[in-house]
Amino acid sequence: MDSKANSETDSKLMSETDSEAGSPVPVKANTKAEFWRGIKASVPIVLGALPCGLVLGAQAAQKGMLPWQVVCMTGLNFAGGSEFAAIELWSSPPHALLVVAITLLINSRHLFMGAALVPYLGHLPKRRILPALFLMCDESWAMGYADARKHSDHGMRRAFSMPYYLGLSASMYVVWSSSAGLGAVIGAYVGDINAYGFDMALPALFLVLIAGMWKGVRAALPWLVSLLAGSLSCVLVPGAWYVMVGTLAGLIAAWFLAPKGGRS
Amino acid sequence: MNWINENYMVILTIAGMALVTYLTRIVGFIVLRNRSLSLRAQTMMEAAPGCVLISVIAPYFVAERPADLLAFLITALVATRLPMLPTVMLAVISAGLLRRFLG
Repeated sequence: MDSKANSETDSKLMSETDSEAGSPVPVKANTKAEFWRGIKASVPIVLGALPCGLVLGAQAAQKGMLPWQVVCMTGLNFAGGSEFAAIELWSSPPHALLVVAITLLINSRHLFMGAALVPYLGHLPKRRILPALFLMCDESWAMGYADARKHSDHGMRRAFSMPYYLGLSASMYVVWSSSAGLGAVIGAYVGDINAYGFDMALPALFLVLIAGMWKGVRAALPWLVSLLAGSLSCVLVPGAWYVMVGTLAGLIAAWFLAPKGGRS
Repeated sequence: MNWINENYMVILTIAGMALVTYLTRIVGFIVLRNRSLSLRAQTMMEAAPGCVLISVIAPYFVAERPADLLAFLITALVATRLPMLPTVMLAVISAGLLRRFLG
């Protein structure tokens, strides 16, 4: 349990930095410090998310959504990809079944993301995990996961830092919904933000995270398969199928390439 | 459906989206949490994050506009060398500049 007493014990156990590694290893400090570390880490992401939120809000307003509705959607959904798709399909009144189905398809990758966290968070009780999972979007998951990987690579137990993840997610959450709401209000003045290149922030983030997960060519082969399948799907089939096609293709490749072994 | 207030349809749609999205967030975790996985399945789950990430950005690899593709390739190169913030800033700046000058 991440009670206060435990985190104090943890910080005593893990107070030495790994100076032999050369680069400073982030040491698991107390909860508050970790929370701020998460907020600081969110800055590059938030810089990219802010203009994207403004664009989303502006587009939503153009389709007839009211600002409070935009804030509700982004606040309850918190998944940008599906929100952009939903807005594209939006009509007056919206076709609920269609939009929900597309949302399910685009966000289905969360299934794998949640599953990937089991080794790190499976020991925690449901009442702590399920609320935290609400804030799991691509970026918060990827950064929380990468951070946990880095800590476990250095031999740290309980490598996933929940306060870090929460600081990260909370920051993004606030910026996302408020920028979308703001975009809906000032919509007409936002103009073509993509001309300034802000949409390149998401791929930049993902590429850095992928680079951080690199563990050799063999381990990366499924990613190559994902890339090829996803790109092909994107070119041949309209819509957001490429996410699922790419993911599944990579997973199948990983299955076949994996060493056979017993159960853990 | 004339008699249904348009606002209700909006709220219904948003609620539907929220429910479905949250389910996708928790079901994967809940299903796997009390299972022990074979080595093969574990390897697959380790590869999964990279697969998801690269699939989401797959369209950028096949961007039609030369400016977009070039900016993306620059970003990919930079991402292997620089940390997060400089990479993101360079990505945005290069995309902005290249779109300005290459159209």
